[in-house]
Order: sequence, then C-alpha cells, then structure tokens
Amino acid sequence: MSVSAQAAPRAARRLPPAGTTLLAWRNLAHDRARFVVTLVGVLFAVLLMGVELGLLVGFARTTSGLVDHTHADLWITPAGTTNVDIAGRLDERRRFEALAVPGVAAVDLLMAQFAFWRKPDGGNESVSMIGFNPATRHGAPWNLVEGAIEDLQQDDAVVVDRLYAGKLGVGKIGDTVEINSRRARVVGFTEGIRTFTQSPYVFTTHTNAQRFTLFRPDQTTYMLVTLAPGADRDAVRTALKSRLGRVDVWPSEAFARQAQQYWLITTGAGSALLLAALLGLVVGIVIVGQTLYATTVDRLPEYATLRAMGAPNRYLYAVILKQAAISAALGFGSGMALVYAVEFLMRGGSVALALPPWLVGVLALLTVMMCALGALISIRRIVRIDPTSVFQ
Amino acid sequence: MNAPSVPIRLAGVGVTYGRGATAFAALRGITLDIRPGEMTLLLGPSGSGKTTLLQVMGCLLRATTGRVELFGRGVEGVDAEGMAALRLAHVGFVFQHYNLFPTLKAWENIAIALDIKAVPRAGQREMALELLARLDLADRAEHYPSELSGGQKQRVAIARALAGSPQALLADEPTAALDGKTGQSVAAALHDLAHRAGVAVVVVSHDPRVEPFGDRVLHLEDGQLIDDRRPTRSPR
Ligand SMILES: Nc1ncnc2c1ncn2[C@@H]1O[C@H](COP(=O)(O)OP(=O)(O)OP(=O)(O)O)[C@@H](O)[C@H]1O
Ligand SMILES: [Mg+2]
Repeated sequence: MSVSAQAAPRAARRLPPAGTTLLAWRNLAHDRARFVVTLVGVLFAVLLMGVELGLLVGFARTTSGLVDHTHADLWITPAGTTNVDIAGRLDERRRFEALAVPGVAAVDLLMAQFAFWRKPDGGNESVSMIGFNPATRHGAPWNLVEGAIEDLQQDDAVVVDRLYAGKLGVGKIGDTVEINSRRARVVGFTEGIRTFTQSPYVFTTHTNAQRFTLFRPDQTTYMLVTLAPGADRDAVRTALKSRLGRVDVWPSEAFARQAQQYWLITTGAGSALLLAALLGLVVGIVIVGQTLYATTVDRLPEYATLRAMGAPNRYLYAVILKQAAISAALGFGSGMALVYAVEFLMRGGSVALALPPWLVGVLALLTVMMCALGALISIRRIVRIDPTSVFQ
Repeated sequence: MNAPSVPIRLAGVGVTYGRGATAFAALRGITLDIRPGEMTLLLGPSGSGKTTLLQVMGCLLRATTGRVELFGRGVEGVDAEGMAALRLAHVGFVFQHYNLFPTLKAWENIAIALDIKAVPRAGQREMALELLARLDLADRAEHYPSELSGGQKQRVAIARALAGSPQALLADEPTAALDGKTGQSVAAALHDLAHRAGVAVVVVSHDPRVEPFGDRVLHLEDGQLIDDRRPTRSPR
C-alpha cells in the first residue's frame, strides 16, 4: 500500500486510539455516576494513604532531625540510649579516651537535656536544651532565619523555633524568659525545626546548656566523632567501644534510624498511621473492584461478542485494565492535589507532612496496585465468558 | 488435492450437550463441505440444531465427535485461545440481535473488529468507512447503534463481520428481527457478498424471504442433515 507524502502526516494526526483504550473510555463515560464513584474512591484512598504515610515520614524525619542535621561519623552515647531526645550523662573526660583511638580525628560534645521554660507571663513549658560546640558548630541549629549563631556566645543566649514561639510565649529577639529559674534571652529563631516529644528544642552553646540544666562542668550527653581521612568506620567503632566500655557507639544513620523506630513504635504512632494507610488501600480496592465489576457485568454481552469475534483474552483484559488505569490516573492526580493541599495547610503547624518524591512514587505504585487488584475480580469473571452466549 | 480451498469441512460431526442421563445429542453424523462464492442456507424446525451447527462451523463450539477442518486444518486439540485465533483469521459472524457495541459509533464498531485483527490504526477509519459504503451506510458512519434502524444495524453488523476480509461469513437468523423489505435487502447483501467477494456465506433462517437467495439449501431435523439441494432458480 502506497501512502502519498501529504496523506501520511494527516493520517498520523487523526490516528484513532487503540480499540481497547476506546472501549475502556466509552465504558467509563457511559456510566458517569459509577465512574465518579470510582474516582472518589481512588481519590479518598490516595488522600488517606498520602496523609497517613506523609505523616509517618514527617514524624520519622522529626524524630531523627537532630541526628540527621548534626555532622558526625559516629555518635558515642550513654549505654542503653534508645533515642536522641532522652539520654543519661557521659563523663566529659572520656573525650580524651576517644581521641586516643586511632582513626579518630576530632571529638565534639553535644548536650541534650530536658529543662523547664518559664514564659514571660508565667506558665511553664518543658523544653529540650541542645548544647553544641560553637567552634565546630556540630549540632548547631539549622534553618536559622533570625539572629546569628555567634550571638549564642553570650551566656544567657538561646535560639528557638518560630513554630513554637507562641507555645513558648516569645515573639522577637531580645525577649527574656527563665530556664530552670535562670534568665535566658532569645537571640535568634529557626524555622521548621520540629520536635516529636512536644518539648521544643532550645539551642545554645554547650557551656550555656550545662549551666541551664545544672549539669556539672565535666558532664555531657553525647560525643560526636569525626573520623580521620581514610579511617575505617567499623574498625574505629569497634575500637571505641572496647576502649570506652560502658557506652554505645553508633554510625550516625543507625542512631537516626534507632530514634525513628523508638518513637514510632513506642508511641504506637507508626502502626496507627500504617493501619490507617492500609485502610485507605483496602477501601480503594473494594470501591474500585466493586464499581469496575458492576461495569463489567453490565458489558458482559459485549465481552462475549468480542470473544466470539475472535479477540484473544488479553484483548478483553486490556479493556478492563485500561479502565482501571484511567481510574487510577485520574483518581491519583486529584487525590495528590488534595494531599499537597493538606501538606500546605500543615506547614505552619507542629506536625509535618513530608512528601518526598519517593513517597509520591510509592503512592502511585499503591494506587496502581489498588486498581489492578480491583480489576482482578472483573478479569476473573471474563475468563469464564462463553462466546456462544451471543446466540441466545 | 484441493482441501485447503474448502473453507469449512465437517466429517461425521456430532455434538452432545450435557452428560449421563441428561445428555442430549443436538447434532449427529453431519458430513458436509461449505464452499466459497456461494450462499448456503441452513433450514430446519426450532431445536433441530441449526445454531449448534453454525457454532461448530465457526469454531465457537467443539464437536463431541467427528472431524472439523478449517481450510484443511483440523481443529481437534486446539485450545480456547487457538479457537479464538481461528475465528479471528477466517470467520465473520452476524447475529440475530446484531450485537453491536452500543457505546461506539458505526464506524468505530468496525474499527474494533479491524483492531482485533491487528490492522494498523492509521488505516482503520478509512477501511471502516469503505466497508460501510459497500453496505450503503456511508452517511451513517458517525451514528451510534441506538440512532440506527434495525436494518441499518444489521448492515453495520455485516460490515463489521466483513472487516479483515474473512473467507467465511456465518449468520444466525440475520433477518428475524427485520421487517419484510429490510430483511430482503439484508439477504441480498449477503448473497452479493458470496458472489462478488467469493466469501463462503452460511445463513441460518426461518425466513421464507431469504430462501430465494440461497444457492444451496441444507435441511436439518433432529440434529441430522436430511436434505442438501441446489435450487435451479436464481434469485431476482
Ligand atoms: N447449551 C446447551 N445446553 C444444552 N442443550 C442445548 C444447548 N444449546 C442448545 N441445546 C439444545 O440443542 C438442541 C439444538 O439447539 P439449537 O439452538 O442448535 O437449535 P436451533 O435449530 O438453532 O433452534 P432455533 O431455531 O429455535 O434457534 C435444542 O434441543 C436445544 O435445546
Ligand atoms: Mg437457533
């Protein structure tokens, strides 16, 4: 067959959709009410899964935020430490033992300790004091939006997060409060440093933190190890452990993961969120399965006709799967728009909804899975279709 | 040997529905060749096995006994997907109730048939319109089945059955739901097809208006072939 030069592009432009796509669209469009139910079902499932899983990731990131944002190759923690927010004390002199281990280039001190914060108007809040070494700034506040780290050198200076300014009763630089009955002055604000413990982080220097929390000058909470170039982390970790005895030594990612697991599991937040997400998935599968099946049953004579005409089974499956895919794509798009809207609304709050690209990918995959599973019951019905039924 | 040129060949075919005490022999010992370029009529009282025979010829139903050949190839041992592939390659069907896809326009109904037969998409619309024109339906291409008369629907169904140029066209009571004149024009269209395109056309019918168009008339009774003749009168 010869195609003229002008005819070819015209033919390409009005290329009809594949027959299965056409049938899928028309089947859905023909029963709009049912299609809307399907879409609302997918949308609701995506919203539920997106919000719950987004909260889970948000919580996980919050629980390990301090570890994730602190430069360290290894963390030395009091023995038995389960998370970064709650820990015992370490003797500061052990720093020298650590420095003596081959492969250790530097060891910093980091304090984390709960304290009482007395608001200017009276009223108390619990806070988590973080004391870092201002020389290296390992463990210093990130996302500083007002003030400067240098200002923390003054011995009453602290930095808090804007998210908790209201809770802590402060509004601007220079506001004064009391921490454990000692005068403290806000010299800066961060933005977006959340806490999972409900005790907001209050950053200051290690020396200030010792004073505020009544630690002895030779006490600290953590030691942050920086490795010498080329040093083997595992080997140094083992050496540190045997040299220092009653401490735990963690690669920083392991400590971050430990903090996440501790909070998400002990509080039950993790399983509650996962369960709610699972519920969304199940609801989605049921709704998609139900509506798709109803559409399929309505169209059984047409599937039988296709089969009588000699269509292979996969042609019939393709029609159903494309209906599922169209529902998945449209439902996912609108569902994600709502999830992003929720994320936007929660930005200023103390609870964060995290939507990293990989999570969006996971949600897309779950949606596809949901719709594919929903299509399965329809496909099971089609497998048994009898093409001779078209003669009845 | 000219076996491959015989579109459909049945030898000693029997079909039994059910098993044991409820077993029912709907067809017994059917032996016949269906030839290209002629319109074969299949007549017989209700329940005599006409539809069953048509289904066996069209590879929709497996014979319980005997041998069925399509273009010289036996179909015994062919699985369901294989039977579908044989239908796709060789047979077009026309049903009493048209069985058009109600959500598709006339030309799209035909395009689907072309699509199943893997005709490239770029050519589907043009071929569909051509087939509709052959059945005098060029001006109904954009109509949905619900917007067509019974005769128009049946002609769209015939056009669809012809998509991909099958060598055999099997129709089960194609005129039963049509009034006199419309039924006659559908019968004429089928007759034309056999004579102009060389298609092997088999039509099951109760309809006396269809009879004059048959080149060959088969009579079934109680599942047996009792008559096979060629009327000398030529139609019209
Ligand atoms: N699926 C089936 N199961 C059991 N018996 C069947 C089945 N299909 C047909 N039969 C029986 O086989 C016999 C032949 O049926 P068939 O449909 O071939 O008859 P027919 O000649 O087409 O009749 P009609 O003119 O009424 O359409 C009938 O007695 C019918 O009851
Ligand atoms: Mg019948």
